Amino acid sequence: MSAESGLFERGRQEFERALQRNIKGLDYFTSPAPVLGASAKDVLIERGTLRLYHYRPLTDEIYRVPVLLVMATTNRGYIFDLTPGQSLVEYLLQRGYDVFMIDWEAPRPDEKTLDLASYVLDFLPSCVARVKQVTGEPDISVIGYCFGGVLALLWAALHPDAGLKNLATFTTPVDFTKMPLFATWSDKRYFDVDRLVGTLGNCPAEMLYTAFDSLRPGGRVAANIRLLDRMWDDEFVKAHRMIDRWSSDVLPLAGAYFRDTTKRLMWDNALFERTMDVAGRPVDLEAITVPFLHVTAEHDHIVPTAASAPLIEMVGGTDKEHVTLKGGHVSLIGGPNAVRRMWPKLDQWLAEKSL
Amino acid sequence: MDPLAMMRSAVDQWEKLANEYGGQFLQRPETTQAMQKMTAGFLQMQKMTQDAMGKALAAANLPSRMDIEALSGRLGAIEASLARIEAASAPVPSSGAPLPRPPRTRKPPLRP
Repeated sequence: MSAESGLFERGRQEFERALQRNIKGLDYFTSPAPVLGASAKDVLIERGTLRLYHYRPLTDEIYRVPVLLVMATTNRGYIFDLTPGQSLVEYLLQRGYDVFMIDWEAPRPDEKTLDLASYVLDFLPSCVARVKQVTGEPDISVIGYCFGGVLALLWAALHPDAGLKNLATFTTPVDFTKMPLFATWSDKRYFDVDRLVGTLGNCPAEMLYTAFDSLRPGGRVAANIRLLDRMWDDEFVKAHRMIDRWSSDVLPLAGAYFRDTTKRLMWDNALFERTMDVAGRPVDLEAITVPFLHVTAEHDHIVPTAASAPLIEMVGGTDKEHVTLKGGHVSLIGGPNAVRRMWPKLDQWLAEKSL
Repeated sequence: MDPLAMMRSAVDQWEKLANEYGGQFLQRPETTQAMQKMTAGFLQMQKMTQDAMGKALAAANLPSRMDIEALSGRLGAIEASLARIEAASAPVPSSGAPLPRPPRTRKPPLRP
């Protein structure tokens, strides 16, 4: 192909894209957002901020051990269940797992008194008991995402007889000093968490959203420019809408819980320093001896690998594996990388341990 | 030379620099101090408004936000008790449809 015809072809392609960009740009603002979290499910627990879902099996035969997903308290659980083909829940169901999920609604104003102990010593044990009741199985596999992983770890360490068979954590922080922006913003010299909680009750979602957004000050502007540039590309637009909607859908945090996590984890770094306790009960991560999978993302800007990687050494037991995969904090579980890399890895690890 | 490729590359570069320098700026103790002072000022204002509104509502014999929150808390406690009773009675799915119960006998496929 000559240089002239190559240039002509490139020009024609860009003209076509500009045309599509204009047509689809209008669609973007007028069409409804994709339906997320639509896998068929039953609500087993609906108590204040807490939700426990049971997804309808998609296979004629399922693994004996049920799987419980624990969502981070700052975001909605539909990141596990985006659209068909982009849903970890659907993938697990198709692979024959019996899937449950702990999800969160925005805590009500009167739930400002919920503290870390409420989550670790009440919500998680209640959900695990309900899963056992529904399945009739004494064992359970638990998978925690981000701070859901921290809750799962605290619960597991404090409930050695709860029937935990396998534990997996995704992008779960343990050394909070290695999250420099969060550590600086919550610096106890300047940040009066008691005053914030005392005045507002719960920690507002807007504050958390701004904090997450500020981790990449140029990210949102650049993402919007890329969206405009790729407006002709339906798959790109769909993925952008899903992730953008999810990352903007931040939940407020219960006041006492926010105070506990700020003081004990951000200020004292108690989990990493091995001085953590929940309601006076000391937490020893070495007490967790079940098979353990720890997945971190290479380009995680929220929980950098340095903040999450030490966890593998802190958990007890010998059957444990740390995997670092390409991708970021969100794309690790809900993007094309997840479909190609993380989900098959999880299935490979979990299948033989679910009998 | 492809001008659009150059534009995309420029966006990438700009984002990298904005994240790097923006992050450095936000990590400065002075920035944190200023941000937290603003937050403290906002909280102080909020508290004063809450107190003034509380007094005005009490004078008008109307419930304050705290009264409503207390009521909501009591309703929440009743809801929690009901949930516990419901959970203890029978595992009925919320939709009312029968819960599919495939046998839990699945084995992993043989891997090469």
